[in-house]
Amino acid sequence: MATVVQAENLRKEFGNVRALDGVSFTVAAGEWIAIMGPSGSGKTTLINILGGLDTPTAGKAIVDGTDVARLDEAGLTRFRAEKIGFIFQQFHLVPYLTAVENVMLAQYFHSTTDEKEARQSLERVGLGDRIEHLPSQLSGGEQQRVAVARALINHPKLILADEPTGNLDEANEEIVLRLLRELHVEGHTILMVTHAPSIGRLADRRIEFAHGHLVPAAAASLKPELA
Amino acid sequence: MFWRLVFQLLRGSRGRLAVAILAIVSGAAVISALLNLDLGVQNKLAQEFRRLGANIVISPASGAPAQISGAEVPSLMPERDVLTAMQQLPSAQVAAAAPYLYIVARAQNIPVVVAGTWLDQAQKLDVTWKLEGNWIVSRADDSHCLVGRNVARRLHLVVGNPLDLHYLDRSAQCSVTAIVDAGGTEDNQVFASLRAVQALANLPGQIGLAQLSVTGTTQVVADYAARLAAALPQYQVRPIRQVAEAEGALLGRIRLLIVSMVLLILILTALCVLGTMAALAMERRKDVGLMKSLGGSISRIVGIFLAEAGVLGAAGGLLGTILGAALSYWMGLRVFGTAIAPRWEVFPATIALMVLVTLTGAIPLRLLGNVKPADILRGE
Repeated sequence: MATVVQAENLRKEFGNVRALDGVSFTVAAGEWIAIMGPSGSGKTTLINILGGLDTPTAGKAIVDGTDVARLDEAGLTRFRAEKIGFIFQQFHLVPYLTAVENVMLAQYFHSTTDEKEARQSLERVGLGDRIEHLPSQLSGGEQQRVAVARALINHPKLILADEPTGNLDEANEEIVLRLLRELHVEGHTILMVTHAPSIGRLADRRIEFAHGHLVPAAAASLKPELA
Repeated sequence: MFWRLVFQLLRGSRGRLAVAILAIVSGAAVISALLNLDLGVQNKLAQEFRRLGANIVISPASGAPAQISGAEVPSLMPERDVLTAMQQLPSAQVAAAAPYLYIVARAQNIPVVVAGTWLDQAQKLDVTWKLEGNWIVSRADDSHCLVGRNVARRLHLVVGNPLDLHYLDRSAQCSVTAIVDAGGTEDNQVFASLRAVQALANLPGQIGLAQLSVTGTTQVVADYAARLAAALPQYQVRPIRQVAEAEGALLGRIRLLIVSMVLLILILTALCVLGTMAALAMERRKDVGLMKSLGGSISRIVGIFLAEAGVLGAAGGLLGTILGAALSYWMGLRVFGTAIAPRWEVFPATIALMVLVTLTGAIPLRLLGNVKPADILRGE
């Protein structure tokens, strides 16, 4: 199976703080990976680097054949638009755009907008009757489903979900996890940050972090690196 | 999607933008009114200055008096030469014109200056005169005359009295139709028909000078005078400098005032928009971070915000320009007694100025280019 993510000796420093320290692993296409660990262990930093939101201090972060570390600002912008679908814990919807417009915003920055496709994407996540609602008119679970629809609209190579159920109640958590399971079944590659072991167990594999390092026990469970 | 985004931005931030739009509408209204006034005031002022009387004088080149029939009279010009030259030029610009022949006659044995002229034109050339009595409406009326108030006082004349005028061995009589209060040398003169005075002086067809009131700006008057001078090379044709210079100086000062005010208003509007946009830029950091994370380039994102500012400037400019047109209309009525019609060229000029000012005021939005999406999404 083709490799979608290849991290090689990845390092990220914020001043004197080393958020990532020599992290190496690979993710095959279609895999669902749970990234786990305590707060401040480097999980979000890893997601940000793989998503082109941040750049590593050293090492390689190759996503779908592109070394994110070598991209300039314009290259990172295209990379994010074309290859990554983000799902954030805080949903991060534009408050003055309706649900469908939030989805179309991702289309707009990718290439051209297709309102019909955006509507279908929302219908798929069960929001067919909330298409013209503003985020303030939606529940947390509904907002997160809009974010899922937005993440999928450009058919990204990699879905990066940072605590996607962290702000949801149990019922909405189940809805979002079901959607992620469906995406996994369809063959999407998912990297999901989570604190919850029960959610982590849904993934194919878990990568555990502590102080910017991969925890050896978890690392042992990883597939062989593509060094 | 671009314009959909722009209008959703406008809708979403309407509370914050209300301050900016108020500043833009107010600025555009005052600028539009001032520009309308600037363009309209030249004509209005020219009309006002025409109220001061004649602004071109034609006189003989030599100031040396002539001796005619033993009496000393100023240098003279054939009436026909002057009238022919005037008729060759466009009459539409001439509000009023009259030839004059001045002689010193005697009335009740007192010397008095008698001006022979077209009395029907006096009302237009000397609109500031105050009359006790009636104007003479026909230039062919040889039997009536106007008497300056000082002359009337010395000769104890009232309206309706006969006035006997003697010049050498000739005499003429006219009936006083009005006492003139001009507040100047005219108060010491008697005004009779040109033909009657020419007959009294035995100077048929002769005039001492001609006065014209030409409508238009200082430049128009000067141009007209130049053309008249070319047609009458043997005589002096000159604009009355005092009136022309006063008009030019006043117009220059008004224009300077208007330009200064327009600049001041533009700066104030830009500062107001700048303040609003700076606050808006801070509010939108999170949105920009998100848009960047979705793959939005900073040029596309800032382009949306600049388009929003442009729409704001254009809409505010249009509304303000309409209000400004109404304002200038009202100001024209209040100041000049007649409305100043809005000028079409003011509309695009004001709207373009307001768009420019709004875009200048939107400079803080450029700061959004520095937003790091990872920082914003982390909640920093």
